[in-house]
Amino acid sequence: MKKFSQKHLLGIKDLTPADIQLVFESADNFKQIINRPLKKVPSLRDVTIANVFFENSTRTRISFELAQKRLSADIVNFSASSSSVSKGETLIDTVNNILAMKVDMVVMRHPAPGACLFLAKHVNAQIINAGDGTHEHPTQALLDAYSIREKLGQVKGKKVVIVGDITHSRVALSNILCLQKLGAEVMVCGPTTLIPKYISSLGVLVEHDLMKALQWCDVANMLRIQLERQDIKYFPSLREYSMLYGLDKEKLALLDKEIVIMHPGPINRGVEITSDVADSKHSIILDQVENGVATRMAIMYLLAGQKPEI
Amino acid sequence: MKLRLSQVLICDPASGFNGKVCDLLLQEGIIQSIELSESGKIKTPKGYKELSLIGKVLSPAFADLRADFSDPGFEYNETIETGCVAALKGGFTTVAILPSTQPPRDNKSAVAYVTGKSAQLPIQVLPYGTATHGREGKEMAELYDMKLAGAVGFTDGNNAIGNAGLVLRILQYNKIFNGLLLVLANDQNLSDNGQMHEGKVSTLLGLKGMPAIAEETFISRDLELLKYAEGKIHFSCISTKGAVELIRKAKRQGLQVTCDVAMANLCFTDEALTSYDSNYKVLPPLRGKQDQKALWEGIADGTIDAICSNHQPQRIENKAVEFEYAYHGMATLTHTFQLLLETKPTTVSLMQLVNALSHQPRKILQLDSHKIEVGEKADLVCYQLNTRHQISSSGSKSANSPSLGKEVTTKIEWVIHSQQLHIIA
Repeated sequence: MKKFSQKHLLGIKDLTPADIQLVFESADNFKQIINRPLKKVPSLRDVTIANVFFENSTRTRISFELAQKRLSADIVNFSASSSSVSKGETLIDTVNNILAMKVDMVVMRHPAPGACLFLAKHVNAQIINAGDGTHEHPTQALLDAYSIREKLGQVKGKKVVIVGDITHSRVALSNILCLQKLGAEVMVCGPTTLIPKYISSLGVLVEHDLMKALQWCDVANMLRIQLERQDIKYFPSLREYSMLYGLDKEKLALLDKEIVIMHPGPINRGVEITSDVADSKHSIILDQVENGVATRMAIMYLLAGQKPEI
Repeated sequence: MKLRLSQVLICDPASGFNGKVCDLLLQEGIIQSIELSESGKIKTPKGYKELSLIGKVLSPAFADLRADFSDPGFEYNETIETGCVAALKGGFTTVAILPSTQPPRDNKSAVAYVTGKSAQLPIQVLPYGTATHGREGKEMAELYDMKLAGAVGFTDGNNAIGNAGLVLRILQYNKIFNGLLLVLANDQNLSDNGQMHEGKVSTLLGLKGMPAIAEETFISRDLELLKYAEGKIHFSCISTKGAVELIRKAKRQGLQVTCDVAMANLCFTDEALTSYDSNYKVLPPLRGKQDQKALWEGIADGTIDAICSNHQPQRIENKAVEFEYAYHGMATLTHTFQLLLETKPTTVSLMQLVNALSHQPRKILQLDSHKIEVGEKADLVCYQLNTRHQISSSGSKSANSPSLGKEVTTKIEWVIHSQQLHIIA
């Protein structure tokens, strides 16, 4: 049987194309399972997983939790608001305290880039990155690529534009790396103030005109404006952002083709995407959510298989 | 102390014996005589201890333009005493220390706290005073009073002074008593909360970048202020290719400008950060390969006057945290020279390194030169090249260096300062 190459899932950076294919194949199986009347399998019956969230999250956390429950894992949830972090405890201490209660795997979301790698170096558990600051969000990228594959048959050769705040987005970086590993062409599109200056060194195209980007692409992934991660103003108002980069029916109607619309959620309706587009047949936003559970089941299943036999 | 040093290779660009294997007699801290070893003119007089130094090199001991001894306020990182031990191990006998203490060294009694200790210290520790009250960048500190108390220059350390009018007044005021302003150029609006150099690596790591222009626009501005003030300025720790070019041009125009570069910026690039090792998190940030190359070129052609350790010890609690929360700084004094030798390109000679680590810093600080000549002070470092030596942390109170435990090819054998011979283990 093919094996996953990594002990942890810290970022797409570390994965091989074969790893990603393996996630997809496993996700195919899990997707079937979660659509059955009996949605649960005993695969992770002896595995205890801690969901450690130092940042607010609703959908990623629910998605992980559901995936863990479907795999019969024991789970414990921990969030910063109810934690000892505010009392000055270090990340290593916090997590080691949880691990002392015999936890095998940690799913962590953290505001600092590299926090998951830092943790993996210092504690004895498998770490899954559920978003580390402005760095990576690997499970989101995997479920996005999986959803493109499902919708268009394959990812290779497809043209994907990621629209919005690229500078503050972990989804953008993970998506770029994942799609490139799978052979897609990637473009980023957004205000000049929110595109990292050196992004083209990663081999992506850069476009500031949304219409040109839409004409070019097969898939448009509309990112949420991360107002909470912007400490200063990068554009004058949401209204003006929406005028330049909001996707609406009118813009779609100008295209001479159909494109697939994605969004990692939660949507700011009327800002980056209008309701009629979000709810249209072009949109696969809810498929992404469903695939999120299957993909995360696949990842945890594959990582659990990495544990040495006792 | 009476010593005879025999058969040692002199590396001192200021000495007539540079590049020669010599014998020396030292008495009461002064170089009494030097002769070529092959001449056999120097015998061991009675009462002299002899050190046979075949295969070893002798240079004037190093002087550091920028170290943080954290005392008072942050003694858990370093004290003046532990900093001295680290300096000696690295071959430094003169160290100018930053005023980034708590409270900041912004008045004469704070300066006197350092100078008052000097008699008990094994090396010469020279205090900088802050350029502004409380290092706040708002009002000029009492520079003249601090100079009288022993401050060798004025700097707000890692805080760049954003107010151009204030910088101009400091440059003008310093002219009255030949004071020196040292500036770490960094426009904080541009490098705003940056964690590392802005480039491909920062993009891949999702870390907020500090663009090269944050340094370069600042240097441009200060050079214009300098022209107007007709004073002098020293840029500490320049780190970008553009900065080297700006200063090269300013020197050609005849401005009174000097600069130094930190060892870390010569020896490492931003690629060292790919594993988020916070020991590489320094200010100025480790830049790209092109910058590193330009910095070495600056050393080679003399645009960059000096190399500093930029020794910034941090206790483990300040470093063993998420990268974003880690403090800037690298503890470097014990191995600055060795790492430079490991990294230097062939276009830079050992002699140029010694010049940038020894003579030039002393010149910038307006100290007497310590060249290896008869009648000069015996302020010396002896080292062996092409050997194997493991870098150890011993000395400094903090261990925040990525190079601890690494093997290098140079070993510092001993240092002589103030009539004392310090053997380095």
